[in-house]
Amino acid sequence: MKKFNITVNGKTYEVDVEEIGGAPSAPRAAAPRPAAPAAAPRAAAPAAAPAAAPAAVPAGANTVTSPMPGTILDIKVAVGDTVNSGDVLMILEAMKMENEIMAPASGKISAISVAKGASVNGGDVLIVIG
Amino acid sequence: MAFNKLDDLRERKQKIEAAGGAKRVEKQHAAGKLTARERINLLFDENTFVEIDAFVTHRCTNFGMESQELPAEGVITGYGKVDGRLVYAYAQDFTVSGGSLGEMHANKICKVLENALKVGAPVVGLNDSGGARIQEAVDALSGYGKIFFQNTIASGVIPQITAIMGPCAGGAVYSPALTDFIFMVDQTSQMFITGPQVIKTVTGEEVSAEALGGAMTHNSVSGVAHFMSANDEACIADIRRLLSFLPSNNLETAPVFECTDDINKIVEELNTIIPDNPNKPYDIIDVIRLIADHGDFEEVQPNFARNMVTGFIRINGQSIGIVANQPKVLAGCLDVNASDKAGRFIRTCDAFNIPLLNIVDVPGFLPGTAQEYGGIIRHGAKMLYAFSEATVPKVTLIVRKAYGGSYLAMCSKDLGADVVLAWPNAEIAVMGPQGAANIIFRNDIKDAEDPVVMRQQKIEEYTAEFATPYKAAERGFVDDVIEPSSTRPRLADAFDMLASKRESRPAKKHGNIPL
Repeated sequence: MKKFNITVNGKTYEVDVEEIGGAPSAPRAAAPRPAAPAAAPRAAAPAAAPAAAPAAVPAGANTVTSPMPGTILDIKVAVGDTVNSGDVLMILEAMKMENEIMAPASGKISAISVAKGASVNGGDVLIVIG
Repeated sequence: MAFNKLDDLRERKQKIEAAGGAKRVEKQHAAGKLTARERINLLFDENTFVEIDAFVTHRCTNFGMESQELPAEGVITGYGKVDGRLVYAYAQDFTVSGGSLGEMHANKICKVLENALKVGAPVVGLNDSGGARIQEAVDALSGYGKIFFQNTIASGVIPQITAIMGPCAGGAVYSPALTDFIFMVDQTSQMFITGPQVIKTVTGEEVSAEALGGAMTHNSVSGVAHFMSANDEACIADIRRLLSFLPSNNLETAPVFECTDDINKIVEELNTIIPDNPNKPYDIIDVIRLIADHGDFEEVQPNFARNMVTGFIRINGQSIGIVANQPKVLAGCLDVNASDKAGRFIRTCDAFNIPLLNIVDVPGFLPGTAQEYGGIIRHGAKMLYAFSEATVPKVTLIVRKAYGGSYLAMCSKDLGADVVLAWPNAEIAVMGPQGAANIIFRNDIKDAEDPVVMRQQKIEEYTAEFATPYKAAERGFVDDVIEPSSTRPRLADAFDMLASKRESRPAKKHGNIPL
């Protein structure tokens, strides 16, 4: 609930305004929203994966996590690709910046946990290299 | 008779210089480490080291210690010249009883600190010690306490630099932690309060000493250390280089070097270095190098909180401290670690009369529960405090984004910046155009036939009107909007103009920085 002072013909009225998902925010939210549910179940899978494949972790698997909340703008690699440390894996749009997410180590991409356009939170697993 | 006494003296000195004996020296070398004396000789200009207290011995008579001779008490102390300037140093000798610290060993270190404080010379400590000499019990513990106290008394008066060149565990870590800069040698040095064995017994966690407290851990994760070196030789060379940026004490300024790099240089590259799209990242270090004399940048804590860049450059031969946002990492946001890193560095520069250059491209504080729960309010406050408190010349250069509270935190005019310069593509505003347009033009957008088009139009309107340096310049918050290519001469001029700056603060015991 927001309070506004509105002046009509010199007379001031105090008006309470309640936001119920008005038009201005709808167009913005429309695009990422359908993508988010799509990403959520997918994100659930890799969350389970480390538990399912504990053998892979000691072998030196590297998980790349999102450094901050944002939207996946582009994915530059595919599962099975070999990457070198420092290669750009994906672009995360966050804090008004197209942030390059880089490989922390060399290896083969064993899983990509997010889709293009998905909203991610800080700490979400994006990619597994190992 | 006289000859006998001379022979006796020579013999005694020889014995001290032999340290722990050939076998232990060999073992030290096999571990990839130099001996304490080798390190000292590397640190000082040739033939300038003067040893003091070589004859000091311990007083312990417990557990058979009375029959143990420990040459130089396991620590070499003295003074000498580094690039011709007086520096005090101590180097713990791992070949003598594992460099263990006893009462007299600690007294030797305290004497170095006291003497250095008296004459106003930096202290370099080269640590390589197994820890407290257990046989000396509470006397050893008292030794650590005395060193902590002296470190604190000397803090802010003389630069104190510590290098960790071997183990450094338990109470021993706190003397380095109280000094201004910590160097660590990769693979051969470790610092921790409790070691891997204790951790395993208490919490069950299994961790290697290197992963727990190695050079990379403390340089990247914990932020305890400031520099990492590949080996002992590189580490000592790095310490000598750092000393060249620092004055000998808080009453002097850093040495000024003759500048052979043209200070009136117009650097065309700076005009195009910032991407046209404000959402594209770039490397701020490229900007710093283009401004610095000979492109030379000594980065401090290069692996920790990389969204904030700190370090030293020279402009016109004068030492300058850099505090800059790094758009390439975390969009250049301010967060808990970045605030701590910058706050500490600003205070180091202010304590030692090193002017500050703040290069701003900051979108804001990093949002999230991790940051709020982590205390970003009190950590961010350190930066505000440190900048406001600093009385050294402060020049702020806004190269792109400067939004909201983070604009203030990067030393705006209001926090006492003496000169604020902005590039023409700077965006100085309370918030980004997207967010601002949604609030200011809420009704226009809602009532429009096509809200999407209207919103876009309003964003563009706001961008053109407010996301510029000119609104801030109209108020005098920005002294001048400059062509990026002329940045180097403009900064050289600003620091030259500010050389005689005098600013005082009310007398007080000390301020209360939010810790």
